[in-house]
Amino acid sequence: MEILRGENLSFKYAGGQGNAISDVSFRINEGELIVVMGESGCGKTTLLKLIKKEMIPAGEKIGSIYYKQTKIEDMDERTAVADIGFVMQKVEAQIVTDKVYHELAFVLESLSYKTEEIRIKVGEMASYFGIQGLFRKKTDELSGGEKQLLNLASVMVTSPKILILDEPTSQLDPIAASDFIATLKKLNKELGLTIILVEHRLEEVFSIADRIMVMEKGRIVSFDTPSNTGKFLSGHKMLAGAPKAVVLYKEMKGIGGECPVNVKEGREYILKNFDNKIRSVKEYDIKAEASNGTGDIEENAIELKNVWFRYHKEEKDILRGINLTVKRGEVFTLLGGNGTGKSTTLSIISGLRKHYRGKVFINGRKIKDFKRNELYRENLSLLPQDPITVFVKSDVYSDYADILKAHEIKNNIEERINEVAEMLGISKLLHKHPYDLSGGEQQKCAIGKILLIMPKIILLDEPTKGIDGCGKEELINIVKLLKDKGITVVIVTHDVEFAADVSDSCGLLFDGEILAKASPKEFFARNNFYTTAVNRMTRDIYENVITLKELVWIIKENMKNQKIKI
Amino acid sequence: MKKDLLIIGFIVLLIAVLINGTNIQSVDEYYLTHADDIQEDSETVFLTIRCDTVLDNIEDLDKGVAELNNIGDGIILDRVEYVLRKGDTVFDILDRATRYNKIQMEYQGSKENSYGTVYIKGINYLYEFSCGELSGWMYMVNGEFPRYGCSRYELKDGDEIVWVYTCNLGKDVGGYMAGDENE
Amino acid sequence: MNDKMKIFNTYHPLGLFIYFASAIVITMFMINPVMLTIAIISGIAFVLTLTDIRTFLKNLAYEIPFFILIALTNPLFSHNGVTPLFFLNGNAVTLEAVLYGLDMGIMILGVIYWCKCYSIIVDSEKFIYLFGKAIPKLSLVLSMALKFVPVFKRQYRKISDAQKCFGYYATDSYFDKIRNALRVFSCLITWSLESSIDTSVAMKAKGYGLKGRTHFHNFRFHIRDLFLIAVTLFMDIVVFTGIGTDIIDFRFYPKITQINLNAESIAVYGAFIILMFMPAFLEIKEKIKWKYYVERI
Repeated sequence: MEILRGENLSFKYAGGQGNAISDVSFRINEGELIVVMGESGCGKTTLLKLIKKEMIPAGEKIGSIYYKQTKIEDMDERTAVADIGFVMQKVEAQIVTDKVYHELAFVLESLSYKTEEIRIKVGEMASYFGIQGLFRKKTDELSGGEKQLLNLASVMVTSPKILILDEPTSQLDPIAASDFIATLKKLNKELGLTIILVEHRLEEVFSIADRIMVMEKGRIVSFDTPSNTGKFLSGHKMLAGAPKAVVLYKEMKGIGGECPVNVKEGREYILKNFDNKIRSVKEYDIKAEASNGTGDIEENAIELKNVWFRYHKEEKDILRGINLTVKRGEVFTLLGGNGTGKSTTLSIISGLRKHYRGKVFINGRKIKDFKRNELYRENLSLLPQDPITVFVKSDVYSDYADILKAHEIKNNIEERINEVAEMLGISKLLHKHPYDLSGGEQQKCAIGKILLIMPKIILLDEPTKGIDGCGKEELINIVKLLKDKGITVVIVTHDVEFAADVSDSCGLLFDGEILAKASPKEFFARNNFYTTAVNRMTRDIYENVITLKELVWIIKENMKNQKIKI
Repeated sequence: MKKDLLIIGFIVLLIAVLINGTNIQSVDEYYLTHADDIQEDSETVFLTIRCDTVLDNIEDLDKGVAELNNIGDGIILDRVEYVLRKGDTVFDILDRATRYNKIQMEYQGSKENSYGTVYIKGINYLYEFSCGELSGWMYMVNGEFPRYGCSRYELKDGDEIVWVYTCNLGKDVGGYMAGDENE
Repeated sequence: MNDKMKIFNTYHPLGLFIYFASAIVITMFMINPVMLTIAIISGIAFVLTLTDIRTFLKNLAYEIPFFILIALTNPLFSHNGVTPLFFLNGNAVTLEAVLYGLDMGIMILGVIYWCKCYSIIVDSEKFIYLFGKAIPKLSLVLSMALKFVPVFKRQYRKISDAQKCFGYYATDSYFDKIRNALRVFSCLITWSLESSIDTSVAMKAKGYGLKGRTHFHNFRFHIRDLFLIAVTLFMDIVVFTGIGTDIIDFRFYPKITQINLNAESIAVYGAFIILMFMPAFLEIKEKIKWKYYVERI
């Protein structure tokens, strides 16, 4: 049964140029799980907002969206609040109150429920979501994943008929994100809830969707099942962030009919269509290494010797004797679960926190010997998790000028800024307010700010958080650019795929120690779970295939081989 | 933070002590004051300390003071003649007389208040506000209530000083001045 | 504050509020040293049941000098009293003033202990509940503010760290530090304005602004709450009667009052003891009960 219908919908923001949405029509049936994808600025968020009465932005609207035959804007106020739930991207900002139970009760309070009714509903909801243990906690004490789960639960208490989510997992770590998506799946399967989800973590949601809506420049260009969407995408430029199996299908020019959409189907696809006589990618590696060529530098940029750290005297140790050497010009990635101390390690290297035992050397010099600001003058710089914290001025250009001034660089200010902007492709963003930029753009501008002060070492804390597929690819290129400039890069991330793509070496932080620093190849090949999708897809088919490029290469080698035989 | 506040508190206390000076006297030393003998040619003044208004307002009297039972007929110091030393003020005479007669007296030094003059808080445990909210000590010289502080009033030969306790801003002793509580 | 389960914590906010208001107000206006001794000993007993002895002793290191400070200050500024010890600049330092200083010190310490207990027991949640009924908007604002404060603090730290890593702290000079603090603060303001927009959108989406908003709370009124209020009010009446009728009247100036132990005053002291030792008694009773309970299991 149809629950939502868009009819020739166009929307133009007040004061905006051109339509954000143009002539969109669609039908969504009850119980469907819809994933909406598209590049940033394609109008997907605007579309979602137009479905939620209270959030309809100011602007000009032609056509309508109907919820069960009623125009959204004609809906009764209380029905609109209760029947259509909306979860936003920003985890922290959408929590209103200080206590979990109060947050859960908030919407019911708005709808004038009595204390006893609220108690029953809230109790049921907390039990369903498994957050009854958090019931009396302060919202501030929750982890990011728990916070977003709370946001979801606090919307679900009115038992909405449609749930809309705008990139709900972009600020979460992968494990919390998977849990969150699993919860959505459960809601959809068990309650028959209609879900409309904008998400860039497509690897996971692609296959659980009933239909996928692809948007481009305010239009819906495809609205079909995952497999057909995969097929559609393989003939389309917008592929960044799509599941690796889909990308593989595209690279193979659609050999074999049906498009695989997840790891399992990807595996079947390879087994069915391709040979695996040649199993090793060694030859490819040799070629790759020749082009890399940083092998013989012996100078250490960062050296940690038996470093111990804890936040308070009476707390347990976070770092328990870390040893680490990063060579000059190396890109090192530190992986690890939540709360293992990855960011703490970065803050020790950057001198923000002081270890209580062991030694830290930066560029061959003891970190304690650096006078207050010396460390940050041409030695090292840190890009924090939340890049917005980097900016102090109201536009990017004056921010850049400000940092140059702070570093007493007085000549060629404009040229320096333009040079960096061009290098990163952010010339157009220079005169924007930092808050008007998307996550990826903020990231790039923040890196630009770092580049202006020319540090020898750059530390990146979770750089892929909140960035879509396109942004991630650009980031990979930027890291490579930094490497070409001879800058040492240390990255802390959850993102296995990203790590596999950019690093020279990886390490796993576990129980306060760095386990076995190794090349990404060795590192991921020996892992069974904590590894890339491509590696999981090709396990036991090919040996040590980590990235898609390698996979494509080996499949093509096998095909050549086949042809020769024939 | 707490520690800082404590340290600041002690410093303030120390400064207060230092500003006041540190002239410490034992009880006996304090009362060991001799009044000059009256000679033929000495200049003299007369001093009386009275609190008979209290008798009319005995129900307002502070219980602690009442318990002491020191009001009697309302005359704390009956008219006595004192030798006037050069430059003596009303306060000097009062100070000398109370010490000599071992009458308790508390004053606020001229540096401690905004008037820049000594302020008499209490005599014979009878304090300002001891007998109702409008009570306190006032002084008269030759039947007039001067408009300024007792440590500024320089005396001359034959002056007649009377310290009176008022229970009603001076109205009951005939010295009411709007906006002037005392002295 | 303290995660350990405390029996007093489980009472209804209304009863707790009446109780603490009585205890603190009575202590604050008390001069009688017997009453103040009861207040401070019961306060210490209560604090000890709520926190551990180590924190108590640690705080004592501040509280004792504080106590001495108050006790010393009074005789310096108050010279009334029939027993002069010596004279300082012509004014008497009296035994009465010294003792009154000590008495005030005990009073202030007592109030501090009781306020400490209050802040542990009556947390923001209970406070919001109490005043939320009267002023629903205020209670929501309070709740939002309480949520915002830790977020604000964390963001301050984040921004400050980020700026530090950019080498903005050029020197160690205080001027620079202040300038940088201002810089961070201005960023923080922009950030909080920005994030409050999101919060307000979320609130609107959750129906804030619709008519007839109710106020949800997590408290139930039990018989024992009624009992607590009844006992508190009864003891209050006895104590206030005592205060009103001079039974426990006490003066330091000019001469210290004799403490009379007659039937009436003993009744008032007794009522005050019952009032003030009630929480400590309940906590200890609970402890013993649980010990016994555990042994039976």
